[in-house]
Amino acid sequence: MLEYIAKRTLGAVVSLFIVITLIFLLLRMMPMEGYFGAEYDKLSEETRASMLAEKGLDKPVLTQLVEFYKNLLKGDLGKSWIFRPNYPIAKILEKKIPYSLKIGLISMAVSLLVGIPLGAMMARFKGKLGDKIGTAFIAIVEALPTAVLMLFVQLYFSSWFNLSLLFDKDNPSTWILPILSISLLSICTYAMWMRRYMIDNINMDYVKLARAKGVRGGRIMFLHVFKNAFVPMAQFLPGSVLSTIIGSIYVEHLYSIPGTGGLLIDVIQRQDNTMVQTLVLLYAAIGIIGMFLGDLLMALLDPRISFVKKGDDR
Amino acid sequence: MENREIILSVKNLNVRFSLRGKSLHAIRGVSLDVFKGESLAIVGESGSGKSVLTKNFIGLLDKNGRIDSGEILYAGMDLAKFTTEKEWAKIRGKKIAMVMQDPMTSLNPLKTIGWQISEALILNRGMKRAEAKAAAIDILKDVGINEPQRRYRQYPHEFSGGMRQRVVIAIAVACGPEILICDEPTTALDVTIQSQILGLIKTLCRKYEMTTIYITHDLGVVANVADRIAVMYAGDIVEIGTADEVFFNPQHPYTWALLSSLPQLGEKGKELYSIKGTPPKLFGVIKGDAFAPRNPQALKIDYLVRPPYFEVSPTHKARTWLLDPRAPKIEPPEIIKRLHDLEQEGEAGEADE
Amino acid sequence: MAAKKPLFNRQMRRISELDANIQAGLAREEAERAKQAEAEIETVDYTPEQIAALDPALFEPAGFNEEDAERTGYSNYSYWASTFKNFWRNKVARVLIIALIAVLLFAFLQPIFPGQHDPVTINNDPETGIQLMNLAPSSEYWFGTNAIGQDLWARVWAGTRVSVFIGLVVALSDLVVGVIIGMIWGYVRKVDKVMTEIYNVISNVPQTLILILVSYILRPSITTIIISMCMVGWMAMARFIRNQVVIFRDRDFNLASRCLGTSTFRIITKNLLPQMVSVIMLQTALAIPGAIGDEVFLTYIGLGLPTSQASLGNLVEAGRVLMMQKELRYQLIFPAAVVAFITIAFYIIGNAFSDAADPKNHV
Repeated sequence: MLEYIAKRTLGAVVSLFIVITLIFLLLRMMPMEGYFGAEYDKLSEETRASMLAEKGLDKPVLTQLVEFYKNLLKGDLGKSWIFRPNYPIAKILEKKIPYSLKIGLISMAVSLLVGIPLGAMMARFKGKLGDKIGTAFIAIVEALPTAVLMLFVQLYFSSWFNLSLLFDKDNPSTWILPILSISLLSICTYAMWMRRYMIDNINMDYVKLARAKGVRGGRIMFLHVFKNAFVPMAQFLPGSVLSTIIGSIYVEHLYSIPGTGGLLIDVIQRQDNTMVQTLVLLYAAIGIIGMFLGDLLMALLDPRISFVKKGDDR
Repeated sequence: MENREIILSVKNLNVRFSLRGKSLHAIRGVSLDVFKGESLAIVGESGSGKSVLTKNFIGLLDKNGRIDSGEILYAGMDLAKFTTEKEWAKIRGKKIAMVMQDPMTSLNPLKTIGWQISEALILNRGMKRAEAKAAAIDILKDVGINEPQRRYRQYPHEFSGGMRQRVVIAIAVACGPEILICDEPTTALDVTIQSQILGLIKTLCRKYEMTTIYITHDLGVVANVADRIAVMYAGDIVEIGTADEVFFNPQHPYTWALLSSLPQLGEKGKELYSIKGTPPKLFGVIKGDAFAPRNPQALKIDYLVRPPYFEVSPTHKARTWLLDPRAPKIEPPEIIKRLHDLEQEGEAGEADE
Repeated sequence: MAAKKPLFNRQMRRISELDANIQAGLAREEAERAKQAEAEIETVDYTPEQIAALDPALFEPAGFNEEDAERTGYSNYSYWASTFKNFWRNKVARVLIIALIAVLLFAFLQPIFPGQHDPVTINNDPETGIQLMNLAPSSEYWFGTNAIGQDLWARVWAGTRVSVFIGLVVALSDLVVGVIIGMIWGYVRKVDKVMTEIYNVISNVPQTLILILVSYILRPSITTIIISMCMVGWMAMARFIRNQVVIFRDRDFNLASRCLGTSTFRIITKNLLPQMVSVIMLQTALAIPGAIGDEVFLTYIGLGLPTSQASLGNLVEAGRVLMMQKELRYQLIFPAAVVAFITIAFYIIGNAFSDAADPKNHV
């Protein structure tokens, strides 16, 4: 068990290192004009060169990478170029992260608390009307492009329930739609997989044996099937952290929530390279940490885990 | 053998499955009496309906299957009429328990084996947890697991296949049933472990006074454990009798064919006997004797009318027109007579497959 | 989707005709099934009297025909026939696939129909010379015009062509690249470990983030958008194929094949691939709506195609900007409805087909 945790920790750290390096290098492959945004054509050759030198971009890529890591270890994320010129990115993020974190966590909690029981109920009453409606609903939510779906939510829910179209941190009712939008997709994903895993497990031999030894319906569902179905879900959880992230990028911008997701879109549109880099790294890091936590959770739930290698899961 | 107490009685049972809109007649009018304390083996090739038949006894028929007609009488109740979980709760485990084929998948991977045995004790015998633990450890000892105290806390993945099957048997025994159904209990195990497990079941049944029903396609298993044998083909029992009667005086051509294909009967240099063709599909109507198309000695009547049971002895009957006085006298294949010789030779050695 | 029903009269009529045929066929099938179920199977034995009455001539050997014996178990099973039959039995999928084909055909043929506007031309009022901005849907401009007076009807179909084209290319690339890499990944043991490690690292990062990053680095055009989507999409497919190959690789039938000297290529194409048809088809079918959705998303965050190029993403985005003005909402609704229809149709058809193609669901 300890060995497994150590291995996974090491794996996560290595992943983080590789991903950060890759993203850094990828961004250096961008065509030159990408560094200047819309003003590129107006600038003279010399100004461009001096601007690059000022930002340290004239040095070899490897030197830049080493610099970058040095600063990162010191907690220095660099400075914004265009969004707020020469303002430390760390300071910008400081104000933005709490919003994203709050909304993200609430959304995750909502999706878990709704999605898992929903999937379990659908499996329990498989083939009944409720299950059919649920399945159809999930199909539609899964099939519709996220962007279109969230637009619909914003457009219609706001008018049906008379909710504000924009976010206001002091007005709790304005939190409802963004959280609903972000969780909707995760709820459906959870419900769908939970239902599938439950149904898979219901048909397993051990459930037949449990029934044969006289265990009754509800007890089987909860003590035997639910737990077994939940184990692969646990591994799935971090993946949904990822989808929550993506959802929040879009939703935050849509509702003008002053969080990091909306910020990413802003800085992409304004071509602020350091900001894009930092935010992409931030999200990648959240992704890796999420996966790592999911693995730990699995190890806690499944006694087999310390014996099975990860690559051969399932 | 006569006048023994009947513990379970099946009367003209018909079971159908609906598969993608088609109806499959899996059990075609089976009648069967199971005597208290005996060990009955139901033999047949895969798809003959032997598993389906016994699944009815504990209400674990797959969702798309249903009992069309017939009765399953047990302790004054008709199990065929049971529909709710509540009704079955009185039977499953408590009265009739089951050991399944594949021990690798029949235990819950997330619970300790101790928990799983205790669950049976708590639910069926109303024990408290501490009480159940002590009892479970006793049972683990009974089924031949060393260091039961330590094993009690372990998970299924820490056990080998044979050990897991012992645990599965322990769970079944823990329920304290009157009837134990063993559905191919050794098929998934190594040959060396098979006879150990069979021996274990035999001992336990004697100790706990359980009636056992074996389901198997392996005549070797049957020879080891069964008092009586029922041969199934295409959803019907074609011949039933004591083990000796079926082995040494078989009447139905299908039984002949089945016995002839025993590898032990093969002669060096000669090709091993195999039954031509495959069992019929059970989707349509089967007219006459289902085995007729594969039977080289089939009579014309076999294609027209389903044979009734002809009694060979009070304990032995077979569904074949060959037993009708008008039928030509057809001798069973030569090879089956070798069974006698083999039996005499092997008396000391115990058939170890 | 209901919104565009009247505009599709011809297609709809054809669909309903087809549907009537299908319904008739279904009814026939149902009747046959009922008849089959009715046929009582004789399970009641003859009484002694009946037995006694049997003609002794019947008790003669019937002769044995080995072919007959083999025929008892004869099966006329065919994988593809069974797959299509299963698929066709699914009513929703059947209606959707007809509708989808009709819509896609129409989208690609639309420019050659008479009386169509050009998607790029800015329409001016012939009398005043003023741009016909934001005209509500009318008999002339079926979906109305957009903010600079372009015909929305023509733009929606032009956009559908572009987006579906992107989707098809991406799906094809996912299919080819994913299957080939997945097969190698799973089959060649030496590669497996390295690839799995690489995959574990990459899969930690949200795919959409990679998509954003690549699109950010490459400047937007149809080619670059296709490239960035292709770079991301094959991974899921490859991973799936790899898992399946690992599962089936050492099954007995493959060991047997290998012992008989079958070449690796043949084992892969004949023994392994057919096992995976079901999910490969599903992944491919889902890649198309996936690509359309990604395009909408990328456009929203400012990394989509230039506005001069009509695409569903662009149209939705243009409509979204005007969303708050109720009377202009049609500019969002029409393209969004087309996106919704196409993606949902692909999703449901893909799932239905994958269910039908799964050998486990065959009788």
